[in-house]
Amino acid sequence: MTMLNRRTLFTSTAAAATIAQDTFLGRSAQAANRLDVEPRGTIGRLERLPRLDLESQHDFITGFRQFVNGEMTRAAEARINALLKAKGLDPASDLPIDTILEHTANDPVIANSARSWLSAQQLSWRTLRNEFHGNKDAYLSEMEAADKSGPGSLELNPGIELPDYTRHEIHIQPGGYVGDPFAGHSYLYGTNNFYTGRNNQDELHITLANVLPLPADGKVIRILEQGTSCGQLAVALKQRFPNAEVWGIDCGGPMVRFAHMRAADLGVEVHFAQRLAEDSKFPDNHFDIITNNIMFHEVSPEGIHAVLKESMRTLRPGGVYFPIDFFTGSPPSKTAFSKFRSWWDSRWNGEPWRLEYAAFDFNGAMLKAGFDVNENGPAARPGTKSNVMGTKRA
Amino acid sequence: MATSKSDLKGYTTDFIKSDTDKAVFLGNPLMDDMMTALINLGAETWANRRRVKIIEMLFEKNGKISREMVEAYMPTPEQEKQMQVERDEFIRTAFGHFARGATDIVALSTLNPTSKK
Repeated sequence: MTMLNRRTLFTSTAAAATIAQDTFLGRSAQAANRLDVEPRGTIGRLERLPRLDLESQHDFITGFRQFVNGEMTRAAEARINALLKAKGLDPASDLPIDTILEHTANDPVIANSARSWLSAQQLSWRTLRNEFHGNKDAYLSEMEAADKSGPGSLELNPGIELPDYTRHEIHIQPGGYVGDPFAGHSYLYGTNNFYTGRNNQDELHITLANVLPLPADGKVIRILEQGTSCGQLAVALKQRFPNAEVWGIDCGGPMVRFAHMRAADLGVEVHFAQRLAEDSKFPDNHFDIITNNIMFHEVSPEGIHAVLKESMRTLRPGGVYFPIDFFTGSPPSKTAFSKFRSWWDSRWNGEPWRLEYAAFDFNGAMLKAGFDVNENGPAARPGTKSNVMGTKRA
Repeated sequence: MATSKSDLKGYTTDFIKSDTDKAVFLGNPLMDDMMTALINLGAETWANRRRVKIIEMLFEKNGKISREMVEAYMPTPEQEKQMQVERDEFIRTAFGHFARGATDIVALSTLNPTSKK
């Protein structure tokens, strides 16, 4: 009897067969005729993780995250509140983070909830990295085959000079967005896991695309998504605006490379480019809509000002700027537990600018960049009633 | 923090490495490692249980199975839902104690064996 190990399974069903027809979304003819590594097929938009054990490990991590985010987090929050009250402090007041940490950081219940969340996060990244690096040749070949195929296009700029803020291991993803050739693969499956399965079909991105406000004159010819990562929002935007030219840019070469491959697989024409949001190379007054999703909290304060300035330059008069992130629809919570979680996320989950972002006057920065600011734009993020939007005076 | 090497073939560039792998939350690095090991074992155990479950489902349906069939198996929505219930039960069985908080923990020093209460 022939033993079938992971490698033989992978090579026999994926690299050798290479072609996986998918009827969903009418996957592009180009995709069906080129190397497409998906040994376990697809579920809707999602290429299944390539091994059953990996899928099951991630199924466990999804369930474990729900447990940590729920029961363990509630226990930690109750503990923080109890410890602060025992010291005569009001946990609902705006306490300094140093005070909160002084009284809570070494508590075992709180510390273990942080440890557990992080260990699950590390396991998620490690298992994905092992898979993609363990089968590096097949996955690199797949991307190379997709680089010049369509629909859509890909522009890579390996000589690009990246500001330091882009080079961190955001979310402790190994290599971050710029330093691992499979950053896009890892980001997609890692965030699917982070969202505990609620975004496996891009549901969150489709929702965001559908609430995007239009310019007053209704004209939408070109749309830009900044910080596109693996392109989920850009794809959803193209599907909402099929006649528009949609661009997604990101500082990470591996990110846009994966984004292009995925969009082409789905048969959606999006143009991806490795460019900086603060130096996008687009002409003046070019886009009707510019948007981004959970980008700004990963950007340094200086970077935010530069991105807003560039957005103002490239948006056409009457165009709409619609940033979506923490606090674009609701102010930061001041409770002790929220502040602890923000600090912890910043310090240990690779979110270097999260605290600066929480203290940043974002709407003021939009005004400074020249936008007309409306704080009552359509709600975008779950649990919010509005979202800030900017327009460029016509 | 350290930086890495660029790789033009993979379109990667230098990055700034996180120091989170050195973090100690539980007062002793071995305690942190123990917790991490438990979580990793949880994932391995669940992967094995899920594989067995799929083998059983395939066997029940077809009477014979192959490795390829197991790897490629796509649970029905009902089966997926049932497996998630079992997964969550497994997680609570294995890790539920870690969510009990501190309010119901009785410190060892308060357990006086001579006390009648």
